[in-house]
Amino acid sequence: MGYFEGFGVTLKQWGVGTTTKEYRGGRTNRQGEINPKDQKAPKPERVHGRHVLNRYEDGMEKCIGCELCAGVCPANCIYVRGKDNPVEDPKSPGERYGYVYEINYLRCIHCDLCVEACPTQAITETKLFEFSFTNRQDAIYTKDELLVGDDGKPQNLPWEDWRPGEDEHTSGWMRATSSSGKASFLGTTNWNGELGYGVRPSELPQDEKDASVTLAAAEHDHSDHDHSDHDHSDHGGH
Amino acid sequence: MTATENPESASPETNPGVPFTLNGVEFHANDGELLIDAAKRHGVHIPHFCYHPRMTPVGMCRMCLVEVDTGRGAGLQPSCMLPVTPNMKVNTESEPTTKAQDGVLELLLINHPLDCPVCDKGGECPLQDNAYAFGPGESRFVEEKRHYEKPIPISDLVYLDRERCILCDRCTRFASEVAGDPLIHFIGRGAQTEVNTFPEHEFSSYFSGNTVQICPVGALTAKPYRFAARPWDLSETESTSMVDSTGARVALHSSQDRLVRIQGVDSDATNWGWLSDKERFIYEATDSPERLTEPLVRDGSGDAVPTRWNNAVKQVVEALARPSDPRRIGVIGGARLTLESQYAWAKLLKGLGAVDNIDAQLGDGLPAELVLGLPKATIDSACQPGGVVVLLGPDLKEELPTLYLRLRHAIQFDGVSLVEISPRVTSFGDTVAARLNPLPGATGQIAKALADGMVGTSIGRSSAEELSAAHKLLISDRPVTVILGRGNLAESTDIIASAVASLRRANPNAKFLTALRRGNVHGALEMGLTPGYLPGAQPLSAAVDGWDMAPRSRGLDTAGILKSAVNGTLDTLVLLGADPLTDFPDSKLAAAAFERVGTVISVDTFMTASTGRADVVLPAAMFGEVDGTFLNLEGRISPVQAKVTSPGQTRADWMIAAEVAAAAGGDLGFTTLAELRSDIAANVPGFSDVHWDRTGHGADGPVITGIRSWEPTLTETAPIPPADDYGLRLVVDRKLWDNGTMTLAAASLKGQVGDAVMSVSPADLARLRIPSGNEASVAVGGGDARTVVVMSDPRVPVGAAHVPFHLNGVDASDFLVTGQPVIDIRIQAL
Ligand code: SF4
Ligand code: SF4
Ligand code: SF4
Ligand code: FES
Repeated sequence: MGYFEGFGVTLKQWGVGTTTKEYRGGRTNRQGEINPKDQKAPKPERVHGRHVLNRYEDGMEKCIGCELCAGVCPANCIYVRGKDNPVEDPKSPGERYGYVYEINYLRCIHCDLCVEACPTQAITETKLFEFSFTNRQDAIYTKDELLVGDDGKPQNLPWEDWRPGEDEHTSGWMRATSSSGKASFLGTTNWNGELGYGVRPSELPQDEKDASVTLAAAEHDHSDHDHSDHDHSDHGGH
Repeated sequence: MTATENPESASPETNPGVPFTLNGVEFHANDGELLIDAAKRHGVHIPHFCYHPRMTPVGMCRMCLVEVDTGRGAGLQPSCMLPVTPNMKVNTESEPTTKAQDGVLELLLINHPLDCPVCDKGGECPLQDNAYAFGPGESRFVEEKRHYEKPIPISDLVYLDRERCILCDRCTRFASEVAGDPLIHFIGRGAQTEVNTFPEHEFSSYFSGNTVQICPVGALTAKPYRFAARPWDLSETESTSMVDSTGARVALHSSQDRLVRIQGVDSDATNWGWLSDKERFIYEATDSPERLTEPLVRDGSGDAVPTRWNNAVKQVVEALARPSDPRRIGVIGGARLTLESQYAWAKLLKGLGAVDNIDAQLGDGLPAELVLGLPKATIDSACQPGGVVVLLGPDLKEELPTLYLRLRHAIQFDGVSLVEISPRVTSFGDTVAARLNPLPGATGQIAKALADGMVGTSIGRSSAEELSAAHKLLISDRPVTVILGRGNLAESTDIIASAVASLRRANPNAKFLTALRRGNVHGALEMGLTPGYLPGAQPLSAAVDGWDMAPRSRGLDTAGILKSAVNGTLDTLVLLGADPLTDFPDSKLAAAAFERVGTVISVDTFMTASTGRADVVLPAAMFGEVDGTFLNLEGRISPVQAKVTSPGQTRADWMIAAEVAAAAGGDLGFTTLAELRSDIAANVPGFSDVHWDRTGHGADGPVITGIRSWEPTLTETAPIPPADDYGLRLVVDRKLWDNGTMTLAAASLKGQVGDAVMSVSPADLARLRIPSGNEASVAVGGGDARTVVVMSDPRVPVGAAHVPFHLNGVDASDFLVTGQPVIDIRIQAL
């Protein structure tokens, strides 16, 4: 009896059609346009994708190899080693630079805690998660792969599907807290200029941002939100 | 909080102590106890920077201010400078106290760079911790901070970042008060005050690494550890240093399965948290590319080629089985091994193989009778207030630096009187109570004069005053400890034995500490890696369970083994981590022995000169990679722990012994460390209740050896008359930094090895008409003359010439001849 009941589920689905779709990776038609079927769905501004290591406007690496990101990572997927900056050819400002930097994307849960921990906004996350690999080696991103290119833009690795404009908002701008550790950027830019994007304007306060998205939602938000935790002072966080 | 801080335990039962009120609760402090210590003992942490329990308080940082009322109203007082007085009322949480803490921290941070992300101290920094826990949270200082050049090297091993310094005086106090090397000091005034070295003098102290450990900020950092890891990716294990026989307690820190740091652990019984730079930085050797990682055998063409373990072991078994008589086998070394490995090898070779030509000392130690048989002192008993210490041996700063620090402290602060009977003036300098620097050959004579009270006239350079002062101290009713070592490789041990006999006659209650420098050499002798003894200092006639084939007649020591090889009566030579070609004093004898000997088997961690000549090489795991036990010079037992995986195919030494036994068809009776330990507990007297796994605060293991059923037989020999008017008596001793295998394998340490020169007293040099620093021709007896640089050195007695062993430059072993009681050399101007 019960023996056949299990097949009921299968039979019910018969002929219904699939909801899982093959990811077709942005095929283009003869005119070179992306097949409309392959358009990516729009992503929220703060979606967490794969990381980049940023550079200052002069091309110096922002990472100082401090291992704070590795220390905070709950998935233990970051491996950093620091070293004395070569005197003749410094990689980063100051004494120390990161000479090994690896993130294992088989483990990373994209929590962004590394981005929060980084004292120099060296590591930030892009919105890119359309990447797949066929071997473990590709899954472990090395420093060379994570570093932005000479133009300050993230590198497009062969197994990643970047679309025009997707490299925007990959920078320190994407942190949830200001680098003073306070949960608000109100009034202060607080991220330093970087290669490729320069200095970005400071972010809108959450309520204004919400308002700019949907007025109704913002109104609703306001009624039960207390903004007293917003602290405008960024002095002396040590 | 640094690893050296260690609460002292109190005994309120016996003496109720000083009553005082701490945050409203009544407690008792010990007499004279500082408020900061008393509070800590009662569970109240008072933040501090400059206070260190092993150094004199100076009250520099004011972090420890607390509100104290002694009856005249409450006021802020530094708790590190204030002994508890009766009925004192202390409040560590009051409004004025927290306001003072806020103020001190805000002030300290005004000029502090807040480099935390790139600072080696970040994550374990007392300034960070105190700023979080007791600081104001905000600074009102918005102006530009003070700037200095980022780290400046103050020695080959230590960097100083003056921006981070909070002027706590810990490093400078350590250098002058503890180490006696006052080479760093405060300079400048006010906001421009900085720690620095004197111009043209770097901070070249054997103890410089301690300042890095006790610096409460990241101002002093160690070059070898610089940026190697962060505290949160370190994992830590407590162990015992095997660098020398003091057995300092250490913490091994590793990251990614690599040793990256060693720190001193405050052990009351041994090192008090201090380490020599050799003990601290030697971990670099574990990573050396010179490590042996696979077994090697010599193939037909004479090259050492990698092979499989079972093939190498098979060849070892053949080489051990081939000689017709176990007396044709010689074994040298074993001081590198843990106690368990020493027992395993002793059981394999003595218990199953009837070999007694085994010596863990390379002709530079003391007779086993003295080491095993003399009544033992402990470091604490030697350093007890009011004691007398007779140093019959080397400069302890060079050979056993952490013991030197303990003794130095005892002399400076606890009224211990030191009688120095050394071949030249040691680093104790003018702190000694009596200084006797007998010429080699006359050491016994001086000791005899002290015993007989014949101190009315001078003997050699030792004046009548010095002699009678020494005599009075020796026979006084103060506790007397003799620290016995090998101060001169060119003077035979018979002379030392004779001196010991005299000293014992003078004061039968005197206790002894044998200051041998090789790591676990006391364990090796205790486990039977010395001719004439079974484990536990039992005679060869003793019956030991499982040691059925134990030899019945006494074998040869290292010199005897090498001579036997030269005579063609040695077929197989086993090296247990020994390199006689460079480490045996008479390198000519060692070289001749290697020419003639049959098969050489080397169980070692590095490719040394001797291992390079071996026919079979078995790679062993080393310190930091193996679990085991250490026996220090007091006979104190303490654990050695593995922290990282040993490289390649290396194995623990005891496993290699078990493997060889099994391949030979024998059975050592153990296949695990636990079984091996039960074998030791069952068969070695004194080891029956050892707690093998003790760690943490109980890790100062007990002293378990020292009472013997036998007495060493010692005879007083006649002095050897001085050389003729032209000759000088040779003094050869050891320096901390020498061309030892481990030192050379540690990247940061090998540069420390200096050049040897021959030093002669200024009077002799003037007589020889040689300007100091010039080259001269030096010959032993009628031998070939060598050209060496001769320096004038007032620490060398008239009539002697001193050369350190195994450095670059002058090769002391050129002048050393085995079997001579003393060596006379001739120096001539070129
Ligand atoms: S990415 Fe940032 S947090 Fe990570 S090591 Fe580099 S500087 Fe430090
Ligand atoms: S000493 Fe301490 S507070 Fe100062 S930079 Fe280093 S970690 Fe930070
Ligand atoms: S260098 Fe460190 S230990 Fe020395 S005074 Fe400065 S803070 Fe204190
Ligand atoms: S700890 Fe008391 S003044 Fe520094």
